Amino acid sequence: MISTIGSKTVEVVRAAGRFGHFVGDLARATADVGTWPRLTVVQMRRIGVDSLPVALFIAAFTGIVLALQASYTFTGTVPLYIVGTVVGKTMMLELGPVLTGLALGGRVGASVAAELGTMKVTEQVDALETLAYDPHSYLVLPRVIAGTTMVPIVVALGIATGLLTGWLASLVLLDLSTAEFVKGLKFLYRFKDTWFGLFKSATFGFTITLVGCIVGLATRGGAEGVGRSTTRAVVYSAMLILVLDAFWAMILL
Amino acid sequence: MKRENEFAVGLVVIAAFSLIVAGALWLSGTHLGRGEAVHTARFRTVGGLGVGNPVVLRGVRVGRVEAVRLAAGGWVEADLKIYAGVSPPTKPAVIAASASLFGEWAATLISLEPPVDDPNVRQALVEAQAAGGGKWPGATLPDIGQLTAQASRIATDIATVASRIQTAFDSQAVADLRRSIRDFGQIADRLVRFADEQADVIGHVSTNLQQGSEAVAQAATDLQTTLGRVDSATNQGQLASILNNTAAASSDIRSVSQDLRELADAAHRNQESLVRVLVSADSVMSRIANRSGTLGLLVADSALYRETTLTMIQLRQLLSDIQANPRKYFTFSVF
Repeated sequence: MISTIGSKTVEVVRAAGRFGHFVGDLARATADVGTWPRLTVVQMRRIGVDSLPVALFIAAFTGIVLALQASYTFTGTVPLYIVGTVVGKTMMLELGPVLTGLALGGRVGASVAAELGTMKVTEQVDALETLAYDPHSYLVLPRVIAGTTMVPIVVALGIATGLLTGWLASLVLLDLSTAEFVKGLKFLYRFKDTWFGLFKSATFGFTITLVGCIVGLATRGGAEGVGRSTTRAVVYSAMLILVLDAFWAMILL
Repeated sequence: MKRENEFAVGLVVIAAFSLIVAGALWLSGTHLGRGEAVHTARFRTVGGLGVGNPVVLRGVRVGRVEAVRLAAGGWVEADLKIYAGVSPPTKPAVIAASASLFGEWAATLISLEPPVDDPNVRQALVEAQAAGGGKWPGATLPDIGQLTAQASRIATDIATVASRIQTAFDSQAVADLRRSIRDFGQIADRLVRFADEQADVIGHVSTNLQQGSEAVAQAATDLQTTLGRVDSATNQGQLASILNNTAAASSDIRSVSQDLRELADAAHRNQESLVRVLVSADSVMSRIANRSGTLGLLVADSALYRETTLTMIQLRQLLSDIQANPRKYFTFSVF
């Protein structure tokens, strides 16, 4: 048992060291401006623009459900315009960033881990190094920058979609007027609601792509290893998103 | 393919950025491009008033709270951004109050003329205005939480009182109360009978009172007539004469009092001799009381008194005899 604890401790320390080494390489790679900027746009398209349908789909139904559940909860006790408040606050502060982050964690994190894992097991990464390409500036940095910048963009559009569908649901299903919904939306609004959600989303995007890259580049053992890395990247991303969500709530709210 | 990527990414970024900016401005009620005036209001406390809360004039939103900060002298200052085209009252003041049951606060612009009814608010506004500095005076109303807490305390007190009443009003107390009410009814019946019996007496008294009242009225008439006569008499210079006589009498009294004063001075001067006389008299009286001296012996010795009396009688007889027969005792001859 003592030896098990010792080996686990060494494993954790080694993982921390690898992570620190990886981040250090990433920071050094930012100097290679001839490589990563032109590749970043492609990754922004793949990580951000191509993720919009799934993100907007999730946000649309989240807005509808929020409006219906709020009206169900508040009937008879609280004025119905509070539905707008609940939809707005919840979408901006919590559900918009977190649900979109989890969805992109599954989609983007798995994609990045699988892609880099495959490149790793097929020795394409080694080939890049042989050709004097820095894998961090060529593979990692464009994805991390794209994830950090595009996830807030996707989340912002998702929040707008959630508010739109929440308003439509209130209008059609709850017999709430537009003026009342807007009154509730503006009620208790602070500009912090906006930047807090977007800042949190940026940290989610950074985490998702970084975890995907780390796990992908650490892949061993052929196709099976790629599968394990993909699963691991999604699980780690989801866990870290929830931990970060609580962390930022404690720090910033 | 590369151009297509750049276009798609650019489009999404611009759309999202525009959405974020426009949405934030719209939701926070910021009016871009309009000249908004910023005024500062001074409060002792702003309660729950915070940045972004609406500024309301006669129920219409005319601005928002731009900043809240602590200031010197124990004050809190709030910057109010008022929309262009809105004219604040001539003598503006700001009331910070809870706008709803859900914690939303608003700053309401009012005019200091006419003064606010609430004495606490009026006092707070006067105090804030006295601090000067060209800042709008502000006051804060208690929020819903404080009011409900106060109401809760009142409800608790009422419940306590109700509980005590319930404890006090047991079956015995109710029986006593019922008996008391019955006794009170009997007393009321007796009072009614007594009032009936006294009604005639009161009628007589009323008649007498009426007659007395008429007599008093007649006397008042007579008095009025007399006063009229006095008035007419005084109008003919008699009052002046009376006053002159009164002045003369006063002068005489003054003279008499002067004489009395002189007399008192003389008596004072004779006081010592009077004292000496009294002392001598006292000495004589003491000797008499001690039965010493002629008078004392005379008083104390009855035989001496009788002898003396007898002597006096004989002496009086001698004098009578001398008067009757002078030749018997006196012989007058020339040669």
